[in-house]
Formats: sequence, C-alpha cells, structure tokens
Amino acid sequence: MALITPVTQPLTASQAAHLLRRATPGPSAAQIKAFTGLTPAVALARLLADAPVPDAPLDPTTGKTFYDLPFDNTLDGPWRNYLKNWYVGQMVREGVSIRETMTLFWQNHFVSTAATVNDARLIYQQNVLLRKNALGNFRTFVIEITKDPAMLLYLNGNQNVVGSPNENYGRELQELFTIGRGGNYTEDDVKAAARVLTGWNQTGYRNTTTAAITTTFTANRHDATDKKFSAVYGNTIIKGRTGATAGDDELADLVDMILKQNETARFICRKLYRYFINDAITTDIETNFIGPLAQVFIEGKFELKPVLTTLLTSQQFYDTGLIGAVIKSPLQLIVGAFRQFSIALPDPVKDPVNFNNVTNFLNARAREQTQDVMDQPSVFGWAAYYDTGFYQKWISANTLALRAYYTDLFGKGNIKANNITYGPNALAIVKALPTPADPVKLIDDLTANFFAVPLTTAQKDFLIDNVLVPGLPRYEWTDEWKAYLADQSNAKTTAVTTKLNALFLYLFRMAEYQMC
Amino acid sequence: MNRRNFLQHTAAGLLPVFLGGYGARAYGQQSPMLEALAKLADLNDRVLVLVQLSGGNDGLNMVIPLDQMGQYNTLRANIALPEAKVLKLNNNLTTGLHTSMTGLQSLYNEGKLSIVHSVSYPAPNFSHFRASDIWFTGANANQTLTTGWAGRYLDQEYPGYPDKFPTADMPDPLAVQISYIASTALLGPVQSMAIAIQNPDTFAQLVGDKVSIDGGGDTSTPAGKQIAFIRQQQISSVQYAGQLKTAATKGKNLATYPTGNTLADQLKIVARLIHGGLRTKVYYVSIGGFDTHANQVNTTDTTTGQHANLMKQVSDGIKSFMDDLKMLGIDDRVAGMTFSEFGRRAISNASYGTDHGAAAPLFAFGNAVKRQVIGKNPDLKDLDNNNIKIQTDYRQVYAAFLSDFLGEKSTIVDGVLGKAFDKSLIFQQLILANEPQPMALRLFPNPAVDDVVLEADAFGAGVSAVNVADATGRRLSVPVSILSPTGLGMSVRELPVGAYFVSVETLDKQRLTARMLVAR
Repeated sequence: MALITPVTQPLTASQAAHLLRRATPGPSAAQIKAFTGLTPAVALARLLADAPVPDAPLDPTTGKTFYDLPFDNTLDGPWRNYLKNWYVGQMVREGVSIRETMTLFWQNHFVSTAATVNDARLIYQQNVLLRKNALGNFRTFVIEITKDPAMLLYLNGNQNVVGSPNENYGRELQELFTIGRGGNYTEDDVKAAARVLTGWNQTGYRNTTTAAITTTFTANRHDATDKKFSAVYGNTIIKGRTGATAGDDELADLVDMILKQNETARFICRKLYRYFINDAITTDIETNFIGPLAQVFIEGKFELKPVLTTLLTSQQFYDTGLIGAVIKSPLQLIVGAFRQFSIALPDPVKDPVNFNNVTNFLNARAREQTQDVMDQPSVFGWAAYYDTGFYQKWISANTLALRAYYTDLFGKGNIKANNITYGPNALAIVKALPTPADPVKLIDDLTANFFAVPLTTAQKDFLIDNVLVPGLPRYEWTDEWKAYLADQSNAKTTAVTTKLNALFLYLFRMAEYQMC
Repeated sequence: MNRRNFLQHTAAGLLPVFLGGYGARAYGQQSPMLEALAKLADLNDRVLVLVQLSGGNDGLNMVIPLDQMGQYNTLRANIALPEAKVLKLNNNLTTGLHTSMTGLQSLYNEGKLSIVHSVSYPAPNFSHFRASDIWFTGANANQTLTTGWAGRYLDQEYPGYPDKFPTADMPDPLAVQISYIASTALLGPVQSMAIAIQNPDTFAQLVGDKVSIDGGGDTSTPAGKQIAFIRQQQISSVQYAGQLKTAATKGKNLATYPTGNTLADQLKIVARLIHGGLRTKVYYVSIGGFDTHANQVNTTDTTTGQHANLMKQVSDGIKSFMDDLKMLGIDDRVAGMTFSEFGRRAISNASYGTDHGAAAPLFAFGNAVKRQVIGKNPDLKDLDNNNIKIQTDYRQVYAAFLSDFLGEKSTIVDGVLGKAFDKSLIFQQLILANEPQPMALRLFPNPAVDDVVLEADAFGAGVSAVNVADATGRRLSVPVSILSPTGLGMSVRELPVGAYFVSVETLDKQRLTARMLVAR
C-alpha cells in the first residue's frame, strides 16, 4: 500500500485519539469519542472547518484592547506579556480544530520574535496574519509575511535599500521560509534576492502618537536594475522595475521563481511531516511520501488544505509503529494537560484578570521548558523541529525536571486563581470510569486515554501494587472504594483521594506521558 | 584504544624496573597500586570550558588591526572604532581589542589570553544553522556528522556512557552545560554526554528521586526508542542530582562577578562546581545576540551599542571567572575558548550593521596558554568577496585543546576530529634559537594523595632518573614504575603532606621538572 494512500475505514478510538493529539492542541476523552467512527476524510473536514476569529487580547488592568493604541514605552513590556499569555490561552480555548496547531507551526516557520521587534502591537498584527493564512494559500502567505511590519523589522527588510542592501531577509526567505539549504541557492542569489526586496518599510513602529501601522514601498529606495539569479534558478532574470508597483511586481516574480523549484514544495512538506508524523525521513519516506505530497501541494497551487488532508488521512500517518512516537513539545504537554481534562480557563473578556493570571502561569512554564511562545531563540525556530536529535532537543535532565514540576502542580491542584483550582479532579474522573472498584480495570480504563502509547502489563501491575495500593493486597482497593461509596464522609473520601492523587502524579511523571 | 585501556593493557605485563638508583618495588600483575594507577590516568584533572557566542560575532570589531586602520575605516566607516579608543596590548603594536574589553586586555597582558586570528574552514558556510553545526560537529563544509566533537572526545575517554555510568571513578556528569538544553557539540553516539542544568541549587529538588518504571516494552520501535531515551535522561538526572548538589554546596565563589551579564552568571556556576569538586571534564556556556545585521553600534559613538555591550559581557565574564579561579586556587586546571559560527563581513552595511561573513578571531584563555598570538591580523586588502580569509582551521584549535591541554593522545585526537590537523600552537612555548626547548611534564592528579602519573613524550628516549625533593631540597625515595613508553607511575603514599619538586632525566640528557603537592 502506498504510504500516501488515504485510509478510508472509520477511525478506531486509538486512531481518533492519535489524530486529535497531533492535529489539535490536545483532545479530551469526549472529543476522542466524538471522532471515533468518523472516516478520516470527514474528520479532516471538521478539523479544517472555519473557526471564529478570537477576540483581541485585553490589558487586564483596563479590560480594554491595546493593539489599537499608540505605542507606550512603559506599557509595551506588560502588553507583550499579555499578548503571549493570550496566545497560550487561545491554544487552550480552541475547539476541535487544526487552526491553532498550524498557526503555531507558521509562527515557528516565519519567526519574528516579540523580544526583538519590541512592539506588542506589531506582533499581534503578525499573529492575526498567521492565523488568517494558516490554512490558506502558501504563495499569498509568503508575499504577505514578506511585507509584514514585524517581519520587516525582525529581518531588517526595512533597512534594505538600493546601494547598500541588507541581505538578512533575502537569505532567510530562501534558507528558512521556502526552498531550504543544500545547494538550492547560491550566495549570489542571496544578494540578488536582497536587491529585489529593496524599498520596503513600515510606519507606526513604536510611534507614541498614532496607532496606525502600515507597510510602505518607496520607489527611490528600490533597486531598479535587473537581478540575475544563478543556474540553480535557471539563470532567471527578474526585470528591474520603477514606480509605485515595482516592489510588489518584483516580489511576485521572486516568489514565483522560488515556488517553481520543486524543492520548495518538498521543503515545506518535509517540515509538515516532521511536525505531524515523525522526525525520521528515510529515503523511502522521501521518495514515496514527501515527493507525492509535494506534488499535491504544487498541483493544488500551493493551497494548504489539500496537503494537510492528504497528510493526515494517509496510511503513513496511521502507521501503528509511529503512533505515540513524537516527544511532546512543552506546549503539547502544558496545554494538552488542560485540554485532556477539559479544564476551562477564566473567560478572557469577562474575567481578563484571572484569564491573564492562569495563562501567565502556563506561559511561564512553557518558557522555562524552552518553548517561549513568540520568542524563539533564533530565526530558525525551536531546535526540536530542525536540529540533530529533533524532538529529543526538548528533553534534558533540566527540562524533564521542569516538566515534572508542572505536572506535579497541575496534578496536586496547586494551579489556582481567585480560589479556583485548575487541575484534574482525580476522584471524579475515576468515579466516571465503568468499574472503578476493580483496580485492574481502573488502571486499564484510566491509562487508555492518558497516554499515546499502551502500557505493558508489567507497568500496569506496578501501578497497582506499588503506587495505588503499595504493599497491600489488591482487594484492599476494592474495599476502600466500596467503603467510600457507602459512606462519603471526609475520612473515607480522603482515603481514596490520597491514593488517586498519588497515582495521577505518578502517571504524569512517567516517560510515556511525554509522548504524543 | 583509549588511554585507560592502554594502561590496563600495559600494567598487565609490567616487570619491576630500576630507575635512577631507586629500586622500584616489584609489583605483581594484580597489584592494587597498578590498578589504581591505571584508573588515575583518567583523573587528569584538567577542565575545558567552551564559550559559544551565538549569532556570528563581528571579529573585526573585537580584535582590531591597528596596522591597517586606513583600510579598516574605508571598509566600515559607519561602525569603525576610533583608533584612539582601541585597547592596546603589551608588546603588540599591531593588534588591539574592542574598547569595552578591558578585562580581556588585562588577561592578555598577564599572559593568560591568546588571540587566534582568522579561524574558519575551507568553503565557509553563511547559514547560522549549518555553520553552527559545522563548528559543533567538527565537520568539513560538505560533510554532515551526527555527533559533536566534544561528545566524541568524551566518548573516547568514557566509553559506555550512559549505560555504564556513573562509576566510582567518574561519579559526576561528564559534561555540564549551564542551560536548559545541551549543545550539539556535546552529542555522543548514543545521546548527549552532558547534563544541562540551570541552577545547581534547585536541580536536585526539581528532579526528585522517582524514576518512572520500565515495563520492559519494545525499545526498537520509534516510540519505544524515544521512551527509552526519556527514561535514560530521568535516570541520569536522578543519579547526578546528588553529586551536583554536593558540589554546589561545597563550592564557593570568591571573586565578584558583574550583574546583568548572562555569561558571567553561567561562568560563576561553573567556577563553583569545579571548586566544589566535580570531576566533570567539559563545561559549556553560551551567550546570544551576535547576529548584528543592523544597529550594532550607536551612531553617535561607535564604541557603544549592541556589539559593545556583548563585547563587555564576554570580557567581564571571562575576566571575573579567571579571577575567581585564581582566588580559589584552581586556575591551573582550567582553560577555555570562545567561538562563534562565523565572523561578519569586513564591509559594513548601511544599517550600521554587518552581514554574515567568514573567518574571525577567537580567544583561548587560561594559565596554560603559552602563545599570545596565533597568526596575524587579516589582510584587509586581500579579501574574498569582502570576507576575511582563513588562517587557522577551527579544528586545529580543537586539536590544541585536546592534545596539549587535555593531554589526549594524537591518535585519539585524530579520530575525534576525523583526520590529523596540525595543532594550533596555543599551548606551546615560543621556541627561540638560543634556548633549549622546554619539555612538558604532565603530573596528575595534583594535588596528589597516594599515586600519581607522570607523562611526557620525551620519556620515549628512555628515562635515566626520577628524583623527588622536598621543599628543603632533601631527596626522597619513592617507588616508580613504567606504565608505558611515555608514562611513569609513582607512589607518594609514604610522603608527608607538603610541596615537592619532581624531576625526570632522560637518556638523551633532557631534564623535565614539575611541582607536586601532596594533600590528604
């Protein structure tokens, strides 16, 4: 069976869980149930459906938006932080959709960091652009992001003028955003692309009197001579233009020239493969998956939805050997835990203060686990998606400890705002299982939705005999549970709650919980 | 064969020898002393510190060619440092340092800093990503390697990591990076050879003592492999957490470090861990922000701005670190180097910045540094597409650290680096025509407790005498044995605590000396 052939049979529970774990910021048991039995094609149509645009972030101290205000030097630091918190909050709040997963993919693809850009309003504007194009057309996307004010600042496109071009964007456009390294462009192509891109600028950056932020093109800052590209681009010459539309016209030519190279579609497909399926791209995968997927991309005129549909309905995606074989990113761990137990955040509009408090906590955890949202360490994005070792880059002795710190707080119910606890209610969750009195069935049922990989019998036995009822015969659990059901006094409730909380903390600390 | 295997191999066939009139005691094949000596060979107590300047450092504004200020100003008028503000160096009229590098200026003047000019590799790459990988892995420009150069070195020294570690002889992490994650430079054949920690005080508390259960699942599947990896990381961190905590508690800082300097913060932890007794061989610290495409200087004063701040952090950080090591009495054991994935274009751009370039200078620091300058200022009239041409291959610098500083055998160094590179002469004394070549005698561990190893290539000619004298000049009898053609074992367990002079004479009339401390 060809790797890219679609699976047409209805999704099993395990396949539905796999799809939702990879395509959304994390599924709840109810969401998995709702997707079980759908065909992959129907499931994808739901995941790709339009979703309402989220409300803009609010300043919790005023309860008002700040993206539409003039720059404020004192407030910009807090605003940036509210924005980042809001962004993490959107991931928690998103419905059963692929949109936030793809918005994050693109934010890590077309990196512009808040710390470097230094103006929260521009980063918000870029985030809106990323979300708008996340499932749209890649050609349009590249053109729009090239002219995006935050991007112009981040990669110095605004300082790229005729006579002394700044090569930064011209290089990264090719190396990171479209065609990739590996002999696909030359140093002279970097210089030629930089000349094509001369003349762009923005207005409103850190402007304390106006809220308007726009992109401008100044013809006399543009290099109007012809730009000759190397043999790898078929010696293309982009005709030098003059006048107000010169910048747009040459940019369109440049993007078309790059997209015409098959390697560009492959480069994006490879990155999507690593993001959604696995980091190991063998010759077989390259030939029989990346190649055909790139063809779908090209034939679909760079529309993203057909590519994502092909990717996420493919035989390869549902290969049992690859299920649970991705190490969770910090956001998949942090946001995923909230979504796994359907923990709702405070309402961002009605209760912006507590919304900000809780999301600020989540954002801080993501940052310390090395996934600082909107603030990648460099233009390459997070190392786990490109560097030697891939997902393993998320894991070190240090980050594992910090992951455990987060899940401990979460599991113990120590994430609180305004006296409300944001964490799983272990007792209620276990009580909702079919046969909680039987320790074997309890562990079977509970762990089925907990992990992306099945536990071994030895592990389940360990959980019963060493974690749930350490050193006691198993029937002690059944007795305790029945006693609790018969008399839900404090003492009896505490007896089972203590054991279940310890069990939950242990489950969160297991290596298997790090898998997605 | 690594050094440990070599010694174990040699020890097995050892016969009693007589040296310089001292009767070496006859040791049997299973002698505890020989076993101890074989292990001691790994306890060479030197420590390497790698300092990464991430983003591509503008070397031409860090090390300034005072002999070419005209051309320097022509190439980069808008960011050029005024000649009067360039820091001058003792006995060096042609080269100066960035205005804000006063710390490194004084290290240079004390003979503890070496400037290695124009370091790069053939066909340099201009991508941050790829160029960093080349420096991390020690690859050629057209070659992809999946392990780091320091990782391969550690794998040679400590084969079997992580499964067979920690051991009684190496209870500590092989490498420590003060960071959230470990660099590719430290990646070994199985996994990273480093433990990444942020704060040694809270690390143990965070890690806890629970290691999740291994249910014996299939570790050959993609998921199984990742789970095994995570479990191994959990095990390593739990195992090493206690050692790190002990060292952090025991260790001290005596110097004052600057505040608001991320590099200094990291080096401060490193000094404390070394002083606290960790046997860790490699420490790794880093500082970012060097990708200065725009506004690298303030337009009103080119000696200030982004790059000046970075230069100051690097200089102050390393200076306070070296001061601290000296006050702690461990400065002889430590040396380090700075590196960045590439230098920047010699010609500046209109946005007061510089685009990606090629060769750049780097610094080696430590008491072991013997030469202050390797190579010469780049010729600013002989550029390659406005890029500075290579004088030293970056692997020649690695080779110098591995062989001359860490004492690694040349066959192993060649293996780690993929082929034989001529060592950069950072740690070798300048040889004058009228001066006999001083010989390197390596003695470790120092301070000594019971057994020490003496190593020198000159032993190859044959050893005629080994003399040990105490501070009053009194000669003392100590048992000596031959471990290898270039290694001697010496028992000092009968010697009282104190300072001694050790001298070794060879059959070709060379005399090598070292100072030894016995402490218990």
